Amino acid sequence: MTELEIGQEVELEFGGKAQVLSVIGSGGQGTVYLVRFNGQKWALKWYDIDKMKKPKEFLKNLRSNIADGPPDNKFLWPKYLTKEAEDGTFGYIMDLKPEGFDSFVDILNTYKLEVDPLTGRAVKKDVKFNSLTAMITAVINIVNSFRLLHRAGKSYQDLNDGGFFINVNTGAVLVCDCDNIAPDGSNFGIGGKPGYMAPEVVRGIAQPNVQTDKYSLAVVLFKLLFRGDPMEGEKVVRDVCLTESSELKHYGQNAVFVYDPNNASNRPVRGIHDNVIKFWRIYPDYIKDAFIRSFTTGISDPTKRIIENEWQKLFIRLRSEIIMCGCGRTNFASMFVQPNEKTFKCPKCGMEFVTLGFSNRSYRMPLFLGCKFYECEINPESEEFMKVAGELVENKLKPGVIGIKNCSDRKWRAKMPDGVFYDIAPGKGFPVWQGLEIDFGQIKAQI
Amino acid sequence: MNNENIAEQGVNEAINTETSAQIENAAPVANVSEAAADDMLDFDDDPLSATGVSRKSLVIFFLIDTSGSMKGKKMGELNTVMEELIPEIRKVGEADTEVKVAVLTFSTDVRWMYSNPIPIEEFEWARLRASGVTSLGAALKELNARMSRNGFLNSPSLSFAPVIFLMTDGYPSDDYKAGLKELQANSWYKFGLKAALGIGSEANDNVLAEFTGSADTVVHAYSGGQLAQMIKIIAVTSSQIGSKSMTLSDDTGHEIGEEDVFAAKQKLLGQQIQELVGKTETDDVPFDTGW
Repeated sequence: MTELEIGQEVELEFGGKAQVLSVIGSGGQGTVYLVRFNGQKWALKWYDIDKMKKPKEFLKNLRSNIADGPPDNKFLWPKYLTKEAEDGTFGYIMDLKPEGFDSFVDILNTYKLEVDPLTGRAVKKDVKFNSLTAMITAVINIVNSFRLLHRAGKSYQDLNDGGFFINVNTGAVLVCDCDNIAPDGSNFGIGGKPGYMAPEVVRGIAQPNVQTDKYSLAVVLFKLLFRGDPMEGEKVVRDVCLTESSELKHYGQNAVFVYDPNNASNRPVRGIHDNVIKFWRIYPDYIKDAFIRSFTTGISDPTKRIIENEWQKLFIRLRSEIIMCGCGRTNFASMFVQPNEKTFKCPKCGMEFVTLGFSNRSYRMPLFLGCKFYECEINPESEEFMKVAGELVENKLKPGVIGIKNCSDRKWRAKMPDGVFYDIAPGKGFPVWQGLEIDFGQIKAQI
Repeated sequence: MNNENIAEQGVNEAINTETSAQIENAAPVANVSEAAADDMLDFDDDPLSATGVSRKSLVIFFLIDTSGSMKGKKMGELNTVMEELIPEIRKVGEADTEVKVAVLTFSTDVRWMYSNPIPIEEFEWARLRASGVTSLGAALKELNARMSRNGFLNSPSLSFAPVIFLMTDGYPSDDYKAGLKELQANSWYKFGLKAALGIGSEANDNVLAEFTGSADTVVHAYSGGQLAQMIKIIAVTSSQIGSKSMTLSDDTGHEIGEEDVFAAKQKLLGQQIQELVGKTETDDVPFDTGW
């Protein structure tokens, strides 16, 4: 029973029946159906066991994943197994993708096709992040979800562009296709998607594991930020026709990063890789350096790949360096002129931004109306990168007076122009002035 | 296998432009701060504006026999199934690959349905009519002429090797061997995914196997129902395999070499076609046959 019929009922392992309503999509290992179970709609993945190498082990692993539960609520995790059919086929049900999330693939394509139910015609609809903060937040969320997964001792195995849904307004991320997740060191037959697989997997000398996940993660991040393939440049395009052996060469045996500083043989080609050429000019060096490391020394030495925690720190920094200028220009601080160490200036309109220096960082955070900092940035024990701790706002009672609001749930102390530190309770704020100092507890900050 | 012989000028030109642009940027300027500001603004610096990630392209060639013997039910069946097939192939390329379709018909003359390959989203099937003889040799020559960087395979970005699907119901009436010989020297043909469908008892599977290079990718349809089924199986399977990167064996006993991947997709296509055809054929055997 490799395919299910519409209307068919599938028995679940712990009782109850799921009724098949329609097909959602199909992939390499099986088909996903929309089903009704217990009066609610769910997604059912049903496997084509003929296409699987080790179906028994796969099922056993799926069962233990369900028992362990997801590392975090960012995963669309398998919920319940079905009973095994007589011929050994099986499936599992999981939550449906919530409204408001777009697939990573649609984000990379910059559009999605929506079929008009009346005419049957497909219409292109733009898919684009609505703010730079949302995009970088999505990156942090992706990195963080893999950090949590790896900390749980598991690897994702076939990390690729089909594995995520992203809310382009908020940067919220859902990791899907969690059925190949396995304890690090085990593999139940999945190889991965070409272009995302680590070179050692392409070459057949390693199986997917936590280290190869790290390579695939770097590819996913590169694609999201630079909108191109990190290994596809002049060297690859010269082949024109992508045959099996050229893929083995360009993604396995002789993979060369398009911006490898020591090997210029595979630079992006204008007219084909315009995105990569453009974005390589925009991102600051510390981000580019991390990709250079991932895709140069990290190719041959898996232990040199960037660990998730390091990515997380880099992107939390990048988020804090976004400047939304009054003239409408939004960009990273590195794309603003720096007339002196403590000031950024918009190259377009000339507006200047003062910065806040934190005692635990070497870089300064530019201040603009609406800018935020997060709990993990003012509390060394916190990992909360989504919880806003402070925001630059205009005083509602004194228009024109700009200050920082304490959005955290702890008391801060801030130095006022009279030279005295005052307590700032949660919900309160204080004006920004030339000699401002803030004491968050363990971390201090000053203008 | 190297396929440098199919790399042509377009790419080199593009690469040269890139280098000169870099040199311009590197030119020394007097005022550092102003220069830095200019440098930040002399291009579209919006970190959110991007074009779609460049997709790989795949052209599917249908070579269709429209000789007189195809008249009537065969042609009716073929036209219908091709119309139905287009939406199914549309799903195949999806995000990663831009799929285009080119249809070459051959009878006494050889004709392209459209003067260029058409993206699958925009493709509309123009119903075919049958008359004349079976000039397969001429069709293969015409295919060879168009299957080049300067012809139908002119996408600036990377291409997968094309899918070439031949359907015929008769023995060639011209010197098909001469045409095939020319085609066999074409690298796109060499790396392409080839499949063929013989329709009715007149079609010669050996000729078709000469074209595809292996018997596994040749199937035969005797009835109208089979014709529709076989066309779908071949077209969908070959475009699925053709529009994706190779899936590797995860048999990690040894490092994969060129010999392991050579023509891997064509072999996979043969396997899958045989599996699918096997499944349908058992259904078609009447209860009193095969004892």
